[in-house]
Amino acid sequence: MPIIEVKDLVKTYKIIEKEDGIKGYFKNLIKPKYNEITAVNGINFNIEEGELVGYIGENGAGKSTTIKMLTGLLTPTSGKVVVNGIVPNEKRIENNKNIGAVFGQKTQLWWDLPVIESFRLIKKMYKIPENEYRNNLKNFSKILDLDDLLEKQVKNLSLGQKMRCEIAATFLHNPKIVYLDEPTIGLDVFVKEKIRKFIKDINKEKKTTVVLTTHDLNDIEDVCDRIILLDKGKIIFDGEKQKFKDTYGKYVIAEFIISSKNKNVCDLNNATILEENEKSLKIKFLHDETTIVKLINEISNYCTINDIHIKEAGLEEILKEIYKGAHKC
Amino acid sequence: MTKIFDNISLYLSFLKASLKEMLIYRFDCIVGMISQIVTQLVEIIFIWIVFQNTDNLAGWNFMQILLLYGVTLISIGISDFCFDALYDIGPKYIRNGEFDKILLRPVHPLISIIGSSKEFTSLGYFGLGLFLTIIMLIKLSIPITIILILKIIFFSIVGAAIIGAINTIFSIASFWTYRSNEVIWSFYRMYTFAQYPLDIYNKFIRILITVILPFAFVAYYPTMNYLGMDSNMIYIAPIIMIILWVIAIKIWNFALKKYRSTGT
Repeated sequence: MPIIEVKDLVKTYKIIEKEDGIKGYFKNLIKPKYNEITAVNGINFNIEEGELVGYIGENGAGKSTTIKMLTGLLTPTSGKVVVNGIVPNEKRIENNKNIGAVFGQKTQLWWDLPVIESFRLIKKMYKIPENEYRNNLKNFSKILDLDDLLEKQVKNLSLGQKMRCEIAATFLHNPKIVYLDEPTIGLDVFVKEKIRKFIKDINKEKKTTVVLTTHDLNDIEDVCDRIILLDKGKIIFDGEKQKFKDTYGKYVIAEFIISSKNKNVCDLNNATILEENEKSLKIKFLHDETTIVKLINEISNYCTINDIHIKEAGLEEILKEIYKGAHKC
Repeated sequence: MTKIFDNISLYLSFLKASLKEMLIYRFDCIVGMISQIVTQLVEIIFIWIVFQNTDNLAGWNFMQILLLYGVTLISIGISDFCFDALYDIGPKYIRNGEFDKILLRPVHPLISIIGSSKEFTSLGYFGLGLFLTIIMLIKLSIPITIILILKIIFFSIVGAAIIGAINTIFSIASFWTYRSNEVIWSFYRMYTFAQYPLDIYNKFIRILITVILPFAFVAYYPTMNYLGMDSNMIYIAPIIMIILWVIAIKIWNFALKKYRSTGT
């Protein structure tokens, strides 16, 4: 029995069509023209307990709308959402007891109070048993390094400190499912790593299901096992991370450090030039179509090769390719 | 029933937290309190001027009117203190998307919102109201018995709850306009009508403040009772309070459901 079940989910918004100028403004006021926009267009997926799912897509692909329907903040236009046996928008408060959520930079902590006071209020709100609360607090403080922060006012914390507290607050009541919408936005590498480690640890220990949306694909690379890719309200990929790379990312990127170039490299067999200047050349190619040795031979006709860096395409390059492809048609 | 107590206890915890937040801005508190008292003193001077020209208003003398004024201020003070954050729903919560955060809590959003009230300065109203009430009771040589004290405490709280319920009903405007605070304010200000004897008004206003927006039950009927004027209307006040809150919560839940399906 999946913990999250989504079937034929659709959400359309009615948006007032804006007209220009004062005249248009008053026309709108009296007789508004509505445009229908489909944000989520018939998506299906199941998520099992304990899965770490990366939910990705460009801005406006429908990620946040989906998350809002999963949390019961929005009522679906049609289709079905069942989370842990509950339909979230019908029994929102019941559903809220099982879930935790972080939405970007909005804080659920009390701005003017010390962090620990917020935690106490959360304890009271979710009726967290005393020993469970203490264990979690001790454990989380250790992983996220909160000890010095608990007595500080939230407004005096840096972004990274705040986010660490925020993440702790979200997991404090041992939620079964956690939705993280851009949890690492604007954070430095160290804080990002701490947060990623925390998510992985808690998932291992408590089988917490995590749905993560982010534009930082390193988050996904590091944390998630499964990827759901959304484009224009539709799912275009759903499967294991490795399968995603195999399906879309069989190509390799090679960077050549070059010198004494005699003319520009304009044509290579079975490879595409990504970047080219006097000192370097970046290309991509598929393993099935050519080999690095053939390419070295070709390129050395144009210049001297000093060094070569080869790497398999990461999520970021793969996604760029997919988006480019999607936008062509 | 346990659910109601749970909610009240949570509300008090939230309120305590926001008071702690407020106390950080002590100076603002004091300034706010003083300016509230000054505003009220101006109105009292106005009443005094009216009484320079007449010795009664519909049979009420200056001191009786001031008692009514004081009793109203006590309830106003309590309700501003407890329900002030209703004004924030449109401009603060919904406009900034803060409302989502509140909808994600395992608590009814109304509890979270009114619990975040920070109108500490309304203690200015409360204090002035209490002062006026006590002085006028003494001046009017009404015996201050335990029963009278309990009555004043009970009916002041009921009055505050009536104002709170009326504000809650109009706060649903927040789901359609960011300027909801002005909508609430315009209805809320009609309590001013109930600061004077009902008999000075025409039929329309009388019906307005007894039936439609029953502000008359906040202070007018209770004060008549304290003054020993013939009035059993005071005992209807708690019933009105309960009815208003049932309506307020029903209407609020309905608006909330509508709001979530549009997702604006």
